Amino acid sequence: MSLNKFSELFVDLDSNNSTNNKIEVLKNYFLSNEPIDNSWTIYLLTGKNNKRFVSGRYLRDLFSEVYGYPQWLMDTCYLKVGDSAEVITLLLKNKNASLNKKINKISLNELLSKILPELSKLNEEEKKLRIKKVWETLPEANHLTFNKILTGTFRVGVSVGLITKSIAKLINIDEEIIAHRLMGDFKPSINAYKFLVNRNINLEELNSKPFPFLLANTFEDKIFKASINDFQFEWKYDGIRIQLIKRSGNLSIWTRGQELVNKSFPELIEKMSTIKDDFVLDGELLVWNFKDQIAMDFSYMQKRINRKSPTKSIQKKYPIIFIAYDLLELNGMDKRDIKLDKRRFELEKYFTKWQYKPENKISEIFKICDLVYPKNWADALSYKNKSRENNTEGLIIKNKSSIYTSGRKKGIWWKYKVDPMQLDAVLIYAKGGSGRRAGLYTDYSFALWKDKELIKFASAYSGLTNIEIKELDKWIRNNTIEKFGPVRSLKQEMVFEISFEKIQISKRHKSGIAVRFPRITKWRKDKKINDADSLDNAYKLMRKI
Amino acid sequence: MKTKKRDLIKYKDGNLYCELADIWIDPSKPVKRALITHAHFDHFTFGCEEYLSTKETAILIKKRIGDNVNIKVFDYGDEFKVNGINISFHPSGHILGSSQIRFIFAEEKWLITGDFKLQKDETCKKYEIVKTDYLISECTFGLPIFKWDETRKIAINISNWITNSPDKTSLLFCYSLGKAQRLLNEISKINFEGNIYSHDSIHKMNNCYRELGIYIKNTMKIENKKNIDELKGNLILLPPSLSKGSYLKNFKNIQTAFASGWMSIRALRNRSGYDKGFAISDHADWDGILEVVKKSEAKNVFFHHGDSEALSKYLSEKEAINVLIFEK
Repeated sequence: MSLNKFSELFVDLDSNNSTNNKIEVLKNYFLSNEPIDNSWTIYLLTGKNNKRFVSGRYLRDLFSEVYGYPQWLMDTCYLKVGDSAEVITLLLKNKNASLNKKINKISLNELLSKILPELSKLNEEEKKLRIKKVWETLPEANHLTFNKILTGTFRVGVSVGLITKSIAKLINIDEEIIAHRLMGDFKPSINAYKFLVNRNINLEELNSKPFPFLLANTFEDKIFKASINDFQFEWKYDGIRIQLIKRSGNLSIWTRGQELVNKSFPELIEKMSTIKDDFVLDGELLVWNFKDQIAMDFSYMQKRINRKSPTKSIQKKYPIIFIAYDLLELNGMDKRDIKLDKRRFELEKYFTKWQYKPENKISEIFKICDLVYPKNWADALSYKNKSRENNTEGLIIKNKSSIYTSGRKKGIWWKYKVDPMQLDAVLIYAKGGSGRRAGLYTDYSFALWKDKELIKFASAYSGLTNIEIKELDKWIRNNTIEKFGPVRSLKQEMVFEISFEKIQISKRHKSGIAVRFPRITKWRKDKKINDADSLDNAYKLMRKI
Repeated sequence: MKTKKRDLIKYKDGNLYCELADIWIDPSKPVKRALITHAHFDHFTFGCEEYLSTKETAILIKKRIGDNVNIKVFDYGDEFKVNGINISFHPSGHILGSSQIRFIFAEEKWLITGDFKLQKDETCKKYEIVKTDYLISECTFGLPIFKWDETRKIAINISNWITNSPDKTSLLFCYSLGKAQRLLNEISKINFEGNIYSHDSIHKMNNCYRELGIYIKNTMKIENKKNIDELKGNLILLPPSLSKGSYLKNFKNIQTAFASGWMSIRALRNRSGYDKGFAISDHADWDGILEVVKKSEAKNVFFHHGDSEALSKYLSEKEAINVLIFEK
């Protein structure tokens, strides 16, 4: 197969809006191509650990050097386009690089298994020449594909779910099976593809893989109509959702992002190995304050997850705990089709059993999620609003009679999140967006009053509608005080309501505070900048918790 | 001490204005006397006492707004005098009747390009290279990322887009004057077998082009919007204004596309809300602007209609051309 087919697929998927259409396009693509190319296609489209061979910046500099384009002109183009790979593709068109040259047809497999891996073995000069040569010999229609794969930015509007559906349709097998087969690492090979499209289901083969995660939906008011007794209530912890798997004695920790993170948490592997039974547990990994028995902030977990082999002192400084929500498999028995209340009963039973065995050293690292028992919905609301006291984000509501399916299925689990904290702040800087938001000013910085000065306290880029973004973009262009590269300082005039989940002391910021998940919830056109909140008000919010 | 020479054409209240002739170019508010470069509504405003334009532009304007407008018409290349200043219209290749306007006073030449393109377009006269001392050029697409494909290639892409979805009606949104006729003309030259329908506003312009001797493929008028779902495998041309409101909600089996130069950028394409974008423009691309600047032999260049920062810097650095900025 030539790279052309893949480039055509990209154009098709990029322009077609209906899901059914995309599934059909994918299905036909898989049918008409070699297994090895299909395998690479899946690897690229699911975006699992797509390798970045060179950075976008590097590629822009290279282009500028090779074709004598001024650096600043490339940067201006980048601001408009928002993607280095695409800027270069468009500029190559202008250069007519492929004209009068021999056109070289390569396959997707050749590109990914030969040409690109070889790049990293070359010295700087050879590497530049090699990339230039590909630009000049590849058909124009493949330039974007090549540049995007090269910079590891291959993202189309195709989710893992869509790939799952199209393969399920292709071989007429349950989507859940395909989803399971696609879990974990996907190493492109002929066999990887053949395994994916195998019509015979062999559970052994799935042994090292996690189950597809079941995800919670946003709370819906209609739940209030149901009886409170139909639901199980858990605290919503803010850590890393994982499946802890022990099969044939081997433990693995899989994140929801389908990463194997055994190496980052050796103490969990060590201690959980003392349990004799095999199991698959769904739960949350947290850094824990054992003295006060409370979850530590997510920022502590970030210090753990980024380390591939944490030292003993790191393990001690940021002690972790695994809080199990659910039991999905026990000694080879798949429990997912059993109703939640029964699964919970078994989870408690086995947890108790494991805990009391003296040879099991799990007490400091493993517990099951405490349940909350509200008497009525008003009670549930007050539990939810107390969640900041125990450093959780609210409640998870689970239908007791539900089975463990996959994805964000409706009517099974809901997240009932505590109301965000809010402050009214003044827009002071704007920066050009990238990707979809290229050419528009969409990254905003907001400030609060301190005495008579506005101090930056948060940046946000979500929450406005497309119409508001356009309107604000226009305002920004007309009310710029100064430009520093892509950033503009603005006339202090616009007030926005900023919502966030957490607030904490931070020495890194001039404001002295840092907030988590800041986003715009309202454009307060009714407010003047003097009505905006002060930093003192932010400190007050902190004291309240 | 040097006295500052006064520019023949300057920027006043957001419009180009020649003070010596007391004449405005494409003014956005009513004035006494207005030169009109072409018949698009963003270049024309009601209520001026007198308009001056090419014959074709006048006919198109009257077709759109009625006869009750005082337009003095000229042929391309005809020189006429206003307050001692020689003025003439020259083809700009943007749409039918579109023109550049040249001013000559005291042996000094000024040229306003108006909207222009160099690409081949059989529905209007080709851009004419006019030599000048001062050039005022549009720069809507003044970045090197803009490089137009051959129109024929776009027409083939459009045709493939339609034939690849035989169970859908394909709605192509495009400006009803100029772009629509250019597309129709181009599509008639390739092997597209489906029927083509056009919205009333486009239909009207098609007829006007035909009356002016331009070949435009015959299209059917969309009379009753309810039957759009049934026009599977066929093409319907619609003005972009119809994509915004509730018009589209009535239809299920449709795919939509927008024909515009901006569609060459993926982010803009994805943000546009259309299923597909075809990058075809009646404005010059980067190379086109550079070519016009060079071939005009102008020593001094002004830009308007667009972000001219990068283009100006490039011309001053790379081509040593003096780029000036209008005093506001």
